Amino acid sequence: MNYVIDAHGLTKRYRRTVAVDNIDLQIPAGRIVGLIGPNGAGKTSALKAILGLATYEGSLSVLGKNPSSDRAALMEDVCFIADVAVLPRWIRVWQLIDLTEKIHPKFSREKCLRYLSSTKVTLDQRVKQLSKGMVAQLHLAIVMSIDVKLLVLDEPTLGLDILFRKQFYTNLLNDYFDEQRTILITTHQVEEIEHILSDLIFIQDGRIVLNSSMEDIQQGYAELMTAPDQAVAARALQPMHERELFGRHIFLFQNVNREQLKPLGEVRTPSVADLFVAIMSGDAA
Amino acid sequence: MNRLLALVKREFWENKGAFRTTPLVIGGIFLAAMLMFLITFNHFDNEFQSLKELLRFIAQQDVDLRAKILYQVNLSMSVIFSMVLAFVVFFYLLGALYDDRKDRSILFWKSLPASDTLTIASKLLAAMVVAPVIFWVIYVITHIVIMLLFSSVVMILGENPWTLLLSIGSPFKAWGLVLASYFAQSIWALPLYGWLMLVSAFAPRIPLLFAVLPPLVLGVLELWIDFLQTFTLNDNLFGLFGHWFANSPLIMSADSYSNDEFGVAMGIPITSDFDHQITVGNMIDRLFSIDMLIGLAIALVFLTAALWFRRRATER
Repeated sequence: MNYVIDAHGLTKRYRRTVAVDNIDLQIPAGRIVGLIGPNGAGKTSALKAILGLATYEGSLSVLGKNPSSDRAALMEDVCFIADVAVLPRWIRVWQLIDLTEKIHPKFSREKCLRYLSSTKVTLDQRVKQLSKGMVAQLHLAIVMSIDVKLLVLDEPTLGLDILFRKQFYTNLLNDYFDEQRTILITTHQVEEIEHILSDLIFIQDGRIVLNSSMEDIQQGYAELMTAPDQAVAARALQPMHERELFGRHIFLFQNVNREQLKPLGEVRTPSVADLFVAIMSGDAA
Repeated sequence: MNRLLALVKREFWENKGAFRTTPLVIGGIFLAAMLMFLITFNHFDNEFQSLKELLRFIAQQDVDLRAKILYQVNLSMSVIFSMVLAFVVFFYLLGALYDDRKDRSILFWKSLPASDTLTIASKLLAAMVVAPVIFWVIYVITHIVIMLLFSSVVMILGENPWTLLLSIGSPFKAWGLVLASYFAQSIWALPLYGWLMLVSAFAPRIPLLFAVLPPLVLGVLELWIDFLQTFTLNDNLFGLFGHWFANSPLIMSADSYSNDEFGVAMGIPITSDFDHQITVGNMIDRLFSIDMLIGLAIALVFLTAALWFRRRATER
């Protein structure tokens, strides 16, 4: 099987710290993968290695290419938004489109203009005249008009308001994603993307602590909400995490029969955010 | 190739102010000065009486002498363009690989399928070809406008502008020499350009400081040690720079000067390796010299180092 991203023993060291610690990672085509982790967990370092923006140790192949030596060739099939507001501020919108068209063989001016027509961005404006949300729209319009196999988004909606954020992911899902493409996203606003993800990776202290498809998570994890008098019985089933909310006890179980839990209270699939907290604090304990 | 051209265009768009507006302003100043000159004459001297007499006097002089002086005027008009061009290119290169690191737009540029080598080549090309050609075109246009303007004044005052002005002074030769000197200078200055790009690629902040301070400190130390040992001031970094500057093919004055005069002015003896008469042949001589070969080797080292830093610019 050909993976879009295939990493073995991927390690990134800065002078004293290890940002990415011996990661093995295989991502097949046609997935939307969320890379979730606390600040400083090594998300951006891992993405930079994948995009050929930083050196690394270990073996890493992206679409069959070596990102550190073939960045330019790789960028014909990979696109990324590394952060909000990295478009050059001096450039005019038409110049940006002109340039991308000439440099990127897979860019469609037509598509880009169509995406932009639904925004307030006009061709003669300079990037510095646009609001933060409009810059994000412009960048997304450009990226979505490039026919690439892998799209990497690193905190693409940071600092944008909720309307822009919803629109951003709706556009991405409706107009862009298909089975040929792979999207890798990092964000802190997990709850906004969990319904579009097909896979979930948690990263902490440079290590992968969870790597699973969303279906497996739905089957493998269960959240139980009980009254205090059932708590002891619930604890006997060895939950991985316990918390209290309004006098109710909430337990998170891994690989437990849901039928076994049902008599104790309300059972449901945990949200990614709750799972994140449970796994991260569980690991720390 | 298309990618390279697109990247060069990008440099022009980003630096329109420096590359296009600056020479336009110089041209504008020339025209304004010319108009002020005419208005002043008219103000103090009714109906250009004395200007008329002056022109008549000039018209009576020996044609060879008039041609020679006019030719030197034509050439020297380029000097201010050339000097400002040198400054523009200096600061352009100093920011070329620094500005996009500072505002983080490097993350966008690196998301395009253009290699770092191509990016550096495009910036070097902008400095070596695009800026000089734009400056040259505006210099020539300014020159033509001034000649036409002055011709009409001459005509109004009853003299023949063709014999007095247009047919002598070899303007085409002056323009050709200036353009040739720009290209020759672009190659002659490659070690400096390489150094500026290297600084631009690695300086964490204030690239100007990083560009000037290390050679300055090194040069002073060298001078001092040299002085302590031998009480002479020979062959040091400053001398090298002086040598480079003195032999620069850029036309700095209407007349040629010799290395020795320059060396005396700098307090450093500089050997006269080249003929400084302003001819294309003499410019080419400098480009096919051992000095230039060494300079190219140095430039190559600097540019390779700049590429190395550019590759790692997104490391943090």
